[in-house]
Amino acid sequence: MPEAPLPVAAAPPRTRRPGPPPLVVFGFCWLALMLAVALLADLISPYAYTALDLRNRLSPPIGFGGTWLHPLGTDELGRDVLARLIYSIRTSLLIAFGATIIGAVVGTTLGFLAAHFRGLVEQAVLALVDFSASLPFLILALSVLAFFGNSMVLLVCLLGLHAWERYARIARGLALSAGAQGYAAAVRQLGASPWRLYGRHVLPNIASTLIVSMTLAFPEIILLESGLSFLGLGVQPPETSLGSMVGYGREYLTRAPWILLAPAVTIVLTTLSVSLIGDWLRDRLDPTLR
Amino acid sequence: MREAAPLLRAEGLVRRYAMRRGAFGRSVEVRAVAGVSLTVERGRTLGLVGESGCGKSTTGRLVLGMEAPDAGSVAFEGKPLPSPGSAAWRAQRARMQMVFQDPLGALDRRLPVGAQIAEPLEIHGIGGKAERAARVEALLGAVGLRADQAMRYPHELSGGQRQRAVLARALATEPALLVCDEPISALDVSIQAQVMNLLVDLQAQFGMGVLFVSHDLRAVRQVSHRVAVMYLGQIVEEGEPDAVLHDPAHPYSRALVSAIPHPGRAGQRMVLQGDPPNPADRPSGCAFHPRCPVASALCAREAPVLKPRPDGRLVACHVAQGEAAPGQGILAKAA
Amino acid sequence: MLRFLLGRIGRAALTIAMVVTFAFVVLRLSGDPAQIIMGADAPPEAVDAFRTAWGLDQPVWVQYFHYFGAILSGDLGRSMRDGRDALVLVTERIPATLALTLPALLIKIGLGIPAGIYAALHRNSLADRIVMVVAVAGFTVPSFVLGLLLVLVFAVQLGWLPSGGQEGWRHAILPVITLGLGGAAVLARFTRSAMLEVLGQPYIRTASAKGVPWRAVVTRHALPNAAIPTVTIIGFMVGSLIAGAVVVESVFSWPGVGRLLVVAVANRDLAVVQCILLLVATTMVCANLVVDLLYGLLDPRLRSAPRRAGA
Ligand SMILES: Nc1ncnc2c1ncn2[C@@H]1O[C@H](COP(=O)(O)OP(=O)(O)OP(=O)(O)O)[C@@H](O)[C@H]1O
Ligand SMILES: [Mg+2]
Repeated sequence: MPEAPLPVAAAPPRTRRPGPPPLVVFGFCWLALMLAVALLADLISPYAYTALDLRNRLSPPIGFGGTWLHPLGTDELGRDVLARLIYSIRTSLLIAFGATIIGAVVGTTLGFLAAHFRGLVEQAVLALVDFSASLPFLILALSVLAFFGNSMVLLVCLLGLHAWERYARIARGLALSAGAQGYAAAVRQLGASPWRLYGRHVLPNIASTLIVSMTLAFPEIILLESGLSFLGLGVQPPETSLGSMVGYGREYLTRAPWILLAPAVTIVLTTLSVSLIGDWLRDRLDPTLR
Repeated sequence: MREAAPLLRAEGLVRRYAMRRGAFGRSVEVRAVAGVSLTVERGRTLGLVGESGCGKSTTGRLVLGMEAPDAGSVAFEGKPLPSPGSAAWRAQRARMQMVFQDPLGALDRRLPVGAQIAEPLEIHGIGGKAERAARVEALLGAVGLRADQAMRYPHELSGGQRQRAVLARALATEPALLVCDEPISALDVSIQAQVMNLLVDLQAQFGMGVLFVSHDLRAVRQVSHRVAVMYLGQIVEEGEPDAVLHDPAHPYSRALVSAIPHPGRAGQRMVLQGDPPNPADRPSGCAFHPRCPVASALCAREAPVLKPRPDGRLVACHVAQGEAAPGQGILAKAA
Repeated sequence: MLRFLLGRIGRAALTIAMVVTFAFVVLRLSGDPAQIIMGADAPPEAVDAFRTAWGLDQPVWVQYFHYFGAILSGDLGRSMRDGRDALVLVTERIPATLALTLPALLIKIGLGIPAGIYAALHRNSLADRIVMVVAVAGFTVPSFVLGLLLVLVFAVQLGWLPSGGQEGWRHAILPVITLGLGGAAVLARFTRSAMLEVLGQPYIRTASAKGVPWRAVVTRHALPNAAIPTVTIIGFMVGSLIAGAVVVESVFSWPGVGRLLVVAVANRDLAVVQCILLLVATTMVCANLVVDLLYGLLDPRLRSAPRRAGA
């Protein structure tokens, strides 16, 4: 252990940083690339993701003896890995965005309800928070899927519930502190309706904290979706997602590892990018959030 | 008939809070306001002074109907207040407004002040778009801000300018009652006087009744027509500001007055003995008696009531009312 | 103290009751349980008989109380695949799962906490950077990717270790490493930020300014206080001992509770799913309860001021 004084304590108040560090820049670039791929999937995909090329089954990617016909190789049905990857990125991002937004909306609304009504409503929301803390999310998701069967809408809604309690806690806490003495109390005593109070004043004021939480929840949702799909319980064929591609490629781990490696690398880089951006945003915008 | 009722009359207000002492402890009851009666007349100002924690802000919230009292009643223009948060309560906000201590906290930092001054007009559906804009400009002028400052965000204004913006917002609907909770204590000393003068001018212009809460007796005297001194949730003395300031009747008022720095009156300061009051642990009898330099045995037993003296001053003190001979104070006896 | 204890236990019981209710509601919402359990092609008379036998023809709230009563008496239904008692089926698998999750927990704690503390004490040093990069990577690499990569390297390429199955301790090595590394990364990141937060507190600065030796400041003041939030996440890890290996068990074909769950979900074997759900929730609630009680012991502030465990 060093005898030196604490760097934390000694550090002067942080001044404005010049710009995002290189890793974060990389994160933004990668994310932009992923978004572009998802949006332009139909234009840039070389083949339909279900198209078979039976003469070129299990052909390796370029650099491992493959040809430009299938730059990332093909699977055992001769489907182009690049095309499938592009559509998988679209599916996974769509699910993750949808679920993140659902979670933020549901959680924030419940948090505001708890802060506004206090009493029983607040106790009920807190009990729900306890409830979701008592179940590992994967187990909850698996049971719901078992009971209800599988559909894309259900999957998105389910993943949307993933981090709702975090938003609820944040929204409740910040709304309570704004209401105690600050601008919310002032606006309330002007005679504003709750809609106006929360929509026009509280929400814009806590938006940055919520956005930071969303960037932290987003990679977790990608991981959850890919985990479920990997287990064969998430996105169902013929649809394809990054996780289901890995799960499917697992059968060919020894003979054709590229089927699995392409989506695996994409998952890791995407979650890494969003996590880096999220950490950076958190330090910048909201030092109080852990 | 309507004119007969005062603008605001509060009768025997009591507000208790349950304070939890620790995860293992049981909750302690704090009587923040313990039987306060007061009256605010139209166009007049009642000053409310007392040290921190004595329940001034709570009283302010109670008379505005922002919380319901546990006992007692508030009548505004002769009618009881609607329950907090109801539609009728919200509509009534156009008639009664509050000015907070911290202008930066009371303003939404994400909206320009002009939009915030226009907000009460939007909420209460007063005027069309153009009329509102004109009204905002007039209000800005009335509080001494420039029209172009409407586009500024709160953090781009100085402390005094912010409090002016808060005043403009509070006056937008021309309320009949304004409760100012320490409106100047977050401001620079040099600006305090400006804001207080502004308040007096605005009262002459808009004619609202004001409840002016402060812990600064001098500030209260400058703006008030009457002043009430509060100690531990109760009013202990009430009268004309000059009279109270020059000849305080209650020993606590005397201590407050003597604490005002005064050139050429050195050595006369009367320092309060004992601990600051704890509303969770009220002394028996007169709440002030443990710190009172003239407390007698009666003071520890029986709580004095607020009643007029022959000269018209309202005082709650056995000694000042001549019901007990001045004692030595219990601390002096113990020593 | 007794009030505090009873309060926490009451909350825990309430949460478990909510999980039971959740299972009941979801089961009812998902369709006609008789039809689901008997199968779509079952003859109508058989379905009706089942309905009467299970009281499904009675009002919903009567069913609810029956359901609650059955669960309290330990009757969690039968697996529709082989008709065996669901609870027995599940408990049989618990030792196999624990054989993975317990050693993994040791790795998480033994690796994650020291790494986090070291990184915090040497903030911005090379070691800190490395710990953080590894920690972020550990969080962003999903366990199935990590598991498959390990298989690819150690089983397929090098042939040192088996890639799946459960024949001996060598089969457990890769899954345990997979589980342990991911969790250690999370724990290291968490410990580091908890430690940094404590080190930034005024009382630490005061203590070191007063000339208390740095080592004593760390061991006597910083570590105990940083332990408080860390206990929460360890509690969560202990709570997920039973079901924390769903994905990894699938990767390595390990016959534990998680594998059972995945198969049961795929076959819609509702009794087994529901049994695992309740078991996991109960474990988790108990772990949270213990954490709450530990908080009371660790944090003297909690004895004087109420505060929710924030994490
Ligand atoms: N919402 C509340 N919950 C619990 N206790 C409260 C609450 N509001 C006020 N109190 C207590 O009531 C007492 C009076 O508080 P109040 O804010 O009215 O005092 P004050 O005279 O305005 O003080 P200050 O000059 O510091 O603003 C205090 O002891 C305070 O702790
Ligand atoms: Mg106050």
